[in-house]
Amino acid sequence: MISLLQQHSIVASRHAQAYTRPEKPCMYRTRRRGAVARAVVTENIEKSSKIIGSSTAPFPILVNGCTGKMGRSVAESIISSGLTLVPVSFSGKEKPGGNITIGDVDVTIHGSKERETVLSSVINQFPDVMVVDYMVPDAVNANAELYCKLGLPFVMGTTGGDRELLYKTVKSSDVYAVISPQMGKQVVAFLAAMDIMAKQFPGAFSGYHLEVLESHQASKLDASGTAKSVVSSFQKLGVSYDMRRIRKIRDTTKQLQMVGVPEEYLGSHAFHFYCLTSPDDSVSFEFQHNVCGHKMYAEGTVDAAIFLYKKVQQKANKRLYDMIDVLREGNMR
Amino acid sequence: MLSLTLSGNCSLLPRPNNRRCALFFARTKRTTLVTSALTRETVAISQDAMADSRNLSFPILVNGVTGKMGKAVAEAAVSAGLQLVPVSFSSLDKPARTLEISNIEISVHGPSEREEILSSVTEKYPDVVVVDYTVPNAVNANAEWYCKFGVPFVMGTTGGDRPLLYKTVQDSNVYAVISPQMGKQVVAFLAAMEIMAEEFPGAFSGYKLEVMESHQATKLDTSGTAKAVIACFQKLGAIFDMNEIEMIRDPEEQINMVGVPEEYLSGHAYHVYNLTSPDETVSFEFQHNVGGRSIYAEGSIDAAIFLHKKVQSKAEKKIYDMIDVLREGNMR
Repeated sequence: MISLLQQHSIVASRHAQAYTRPEKPCMYRTRRRGAVARAVVTENIEKSSKIIGSSTAPFPILVNGCTGKMGRSVAESIISSGLTLVPVSFSGKEKPGGNITIGDVDVTIHGSKERETVLSSVINQFPDVMVVDYMVPDAVNANAELYCKLGLPFVMGTTGGDRELLYKTVKSSDVYAVISPQMGKQVVAFLAAMDIMAKQFPGAFSGYHLEVLESHQASKLDASGTAKSVVSSFQKLGVSYDMRRIRKIRDTTKQLQMVGVPEEYLGSHAFHFYCLTSPDDSVSFEFQHNVCGHKMYAEGTVDAAIFLYKKVQQKANKRLYDMIDVLREGNMR
Repeated sequence: MLSLTLSGNCSLLPRPNNRRCALFFARTKRTTLVTSALTRETVAISQDAMADSRNLSFPILVNGVTGKMGKAVAEAAVSAGLQLVPVSFSSLDKPARTLEISNIEISVHGPSEREEILSSVTEKYPDVVVVDYTVPNAVNANAEWYCKFGVPFVMGTTGGDRPLLYKTVQDSNVYAVISPQMGKQVVAFLAAMEIMAEEFPGAFSGYKLEVMESHQATKLDTSGTAKAVIACFQKLGAIFDMNEIEMIRDPEEQINMVGVPEEYLSGHAYHVYNLTSPDETVSFEFQHNVGGRSIYAEGSIDAAIFLHKKVQSKAEKKIYDMIDVLREGNMR
């Protein structure tokens, strides 16, 4: 395990060998491999420190989209958190049902045509069931309409679709829902903190210089929306910066060597670096948030589901929530 | 070098009783005052030509220019286009001497002369703001002295009896900015962490925290700023024991490992906080690295400009801190 001290040694030695020190004090340093490089465990090996939510009564969750990577990851998190995974899911394809195994649960996959009938019978069997949706953008609105029709509380993890229509559907139906395109709870917290700082202290960083670097799997063609969101907070803080200057790293060699992405996560990661430097270069602030794989989003989704379940049980007045609401509630487990 | 500045917007400054226009200057080699109400020309010596009609230039007196922080603040005041009053004070009882700061000759006075000198300063410069960077032992006596003359002040000196300090200021109804941390942007970062912890308690439950800080070798205690940030992360649910803060004080490690530039070895404050998720797939890192004194000097100037505005607008609130300064927005 590399301590923070050793991490800095690695940085310093790489600095000496491979880099001319950039003009600004920070930025473009080799990613310290320490913390995230330790993440050699695959998602299937759970750390035993995860205590099963003793404060949460296990309730049933159906994951719509178990066959996809995110859906599967959420299903695994549900099982390891001690909640009940309903052994039923749906596929976008219309083929006859098959089975997949998640943890020690045998999940039957039904075709999309059977959704309504199967869901109705699930509700009969598990009256307080909740749905977590990780399907595809094209299915967002149709799925939401179905959940609303059946009065099923749901967490919408799928991005895209017609978002305005999605909110309209939910609002006019009285169903409980958490809708959030970003399920990485801690990333949402960080973004919110930057936003609050910008609103409370406009211009605090006037004159400061900003550099931004982000790395994602090569298949992600567009620039990080999260990075843009953070940059816009910095702009409110008085930093002048053109969004086009965000450095997108998509080359796997650079990701391995410069950014420090562990090899097993090259196909699925989200690393972000922001560096603010004072006009005279004597002061620097650096922020990083680095996510490997899907686990973070899966855990955030489970938090959202537990939060929603509580709201349903309390018969809360408010029906529609986002990740900020989940964060405000405090630790779920 | 000569600096002759007539504030263009006379209406925004209080008219002195003796009917002079608000004209201020600083002249080297001579300490006599010149008054003229004729010219509307502005001749600024500052490299930073910020003293435009919107940005008011006002007199600022730095108590403690003989010290490193005081000197830095005085220099920052001049570059910001403010009028540095060519007078300062020392605790030493020796006769007055002069000190040159940014081509301005400052005459330094001992304790026996201070009341008389401050009195004449407030007469000549009615809207002067004092910035105090002296020593902990002098904090309370200085505050009483400023309050006696009704002079608004920015207390940059740490230590002393803080409750007594606040009481002295409250009782006298004088305007003041009191902040032990004058690094404005560090205060902003700390406030953001506090807000995050307040709004989203437990958001980082189970996350492991690692903290490393580096300061000049003479700083024996652990960084108070680090402790404040850690308290936020603990509220956010992170697991950490204050004893685990890694303090780096060895200059070689500071240069090679932490990356502190050699010129700042004797005066820097570098902090790194690393949060890692239980399964280690997620990490967050925050750093704030300060070299030298510039950030504190600039923050003090911002505080002085802020206070001047409050005095001019006859604000109801009298005692402020750096958060108030931050909330006001960009000063210049």
